[in-house]
Amino acid sequence: MQGAAIVRHVVTFGRVLREVGIEVGPGRVEDAVRGLGAVDLTRQDEVYFTLRQTLVSRHDELELFDRAFVAWFLRGPVAPLVRQKQMRRFTDRVARDTLETGTDDADDANPSSTPHELGASGHELLREKDFAEMTPEEFERVRRLMAAIARTRPRRQSRRRTPDTRGDRLDLRRLCRKSLRSGGEPIEQPWKSRKVVPRKLVVLCDISGSMDAYARALLFYLHAIVGSGGGVEAFAFGTRLTRLTPDLATRDPEAALARANEIAVDWGSGTRIGGSLAEFNTTYGRRALSRGAVVVIVSDGWERDDPDLVSREMAKLARAAYAVVWVNPLKGNPEYQPLAGGMRAALPFVDRFLPGHNLRSLEELGAVLAGIERRHAA
Amino acid sequence: MYAESVSFRTIDELESALREADYLPDRGLATALFLALALEKPVLLEGEAGVGKTEAAKALATSLEARLIRLQCYEGLDVSHAVYEWNYPRQLLHIRAAQEGTVSEEELFGSEFLIRRPLLEAIDSDEPVVLLIDEIDRADEEFEAFLLEVLSDFQITIPELGTIRARRKPAVILTSNRTRELHDALKRRALFHWIGHPSIEREVEIVMLRVPGIPEALAKEAAAFVRGLRSLDLVKPPGVAETIDWAQALAALGREEIDAEVVEQTLGSVLKYREDIETVRDETLVGLIEEARATANR
Repeated sequence: MQGAAIVRHVVTFGRVLREVGIEVGPGRVEDAVRGLGAVDLTRQDEVYFTLRQTLVSRHDELELFDRAFVAWFLRGPVAPLVRQKQMRRFTDRVARDTLETGTDDADDANPSSTPHELGASGHELLREKDFAEMTPEEFERVRRLMAAIARTRPRRQSRRRTPDTRGDRLDLRRLCRKSLRSGGEPIEQPWKSRKVVPRKLVVLCDISGSMDAYARALLFYLHAIVGSGGGVEAFAFGTRLTRLTPDLATRDPEAALARANEIAVDWGSGTRIGGSLAEFNTTYGRRALSRGAVVVIVSDGWERDDPDLVSREMAKLARAAYAVVWVNPLKGNPEYQPLAGGMRAALPFVDRFLPGHNLRSLEELGAVLAGIERRHAA
Repeated sequence: MYAESVSFRTIDELESALREADYLPDRGLATALFLALALEKPVLLEGEAGVGKTEAAKALATSLEARLIRLQCYEGLDVSHAVYEWNYPRQLLHIRAAQEGTVSEEELFGSEFLIRRPLLEAIDSDEPVVLLIDEIDRADEEFEAFLLEVLSDFQITIPELGTIRARRKPAVILTSNRTRELHDALKRRALFHWIGHPSIEREVEIVMLRVPGIPEALAKEAAAFVRGLRSLDLVKPPGVAETIDWAQALAALGREEIDAEVVEQTLGSVLKYREDIETVRDETLVGLIEEARATANR
């Protein structure tokens, strides 16, 4: 192959990759061309790895790449390629737009419905109302109030220090510099302190039939949290587990919920809490997603299978996590007793057990998350 | 740029040099390392713990006759531990010692008071260097952004001293266990290679190389057994590193083949979690051993 032919080939292949949703910038194409210039073009494995290593940067894109490679270079029969609907770079904009339109509408419909005026009597009622009993209009109003609650996130101290007059540690670098003027006497003492940054937050939300009304509300809440900054991971589970984070960042939460329902719920077959937790622990826990994180599980605790599995997997989860919070909408009923087998099995590993049936309880959740401390330390 | 250092014209050449350094790369990894040198770009190696990411960097350094500089990442890693720090006690003592005479700022922030950390060391080196930035996924995102800057320009600015530019670009290897996705910008800067578990033939070869004198039959059984373990639902599936450790233990016990007794005794060097050891007890263990022996004898 001549130089120009290689370039043409690679550029076209880059376009094929973009078609299937692998983002390929011009810099990458250039690397690929340079790389091919350095390897033996008669060897298929060298060509394959050179293209793969220069054009792909994510493990989960490898399969798509392989199919595109077979289709393009080997002209082999392949399964149809899937086109990804949205590109990640729109993520932020979409998330922001959703929040902004939310506020605009609120102003049009009801000038006083800003989050700061939660205390108004109409809202007081709305705050107490069970999500399951709300009309679509009420639900719509509640949605907008959630963004405000979502801003409270659990925090941790970063190890990084910044100048701070009320800091707890001398800033030696600045001290030395300032001491120059006073012949080595540290007259002025600059201090520094640790920054406080948001702590990782992992939310696992039960979306099986019995949780329907609540799961929807909580997903809107999650959507707002994901919009509040990085370090949030969201999952939905029913009979299976599915990761929601990318959907919550790009699409509207209704679409995310619909998709999660398709993947994770077999209608009428009950909830597999233990199995879903196991899936989380193996797939994501192993990658330390839960380590040091505040993990929030939202579920009514009805386990279809063996409660023992719930307790085993909860033990694993609790060991890795900073703290575990269980939100059970049924707890909103004053007569509720945690009798469901799954719930009983899980409780010993739960740091905080909260209701999540109305807006007020979400506020409470927000407050708990903001101030949560590790149980083992407390 | 690498005029006086070792260089490789083909992937085969690099592969045999790595073999001489007791490392058996598959074709993909050899290609990745070759491209990293040819394009002078960092390479990001991702994969489960124990598949030999760190070892690859060490072997590359040996093959290149280069110095290996390692930066181990952790949450909270900052510039003063990764790049440089001023030696404050010495600085203060120096000002005191000067007493009446005045100390100029230039004098105080001169290179004799500079403590050089791995990144500065790698950038400011005259000998060939392989810079290993290990477990970058453990560092926080602020550090990743800083690293991105260093890796694009290969220069470091120290306000008091000015900018230090690399006279020769170090070969850079980043590793990640994928506890989180890295920032796209950093990934764009690097070549990407995913290391999976090796094929059974290669793993046997690796064990034979790293555990000299081990009977081939034992190496095969050990590799096949570990492979069986990886197919189970474990908290931490064993990597190649664990296979090597275990084979060493078996060889040290003078074993010719594996049986339930010796596996029970030594399982701790393959499985590092109590839950995993419990999962593998009893029938599972016997089944795995039978299967491993069948695979090894094929």
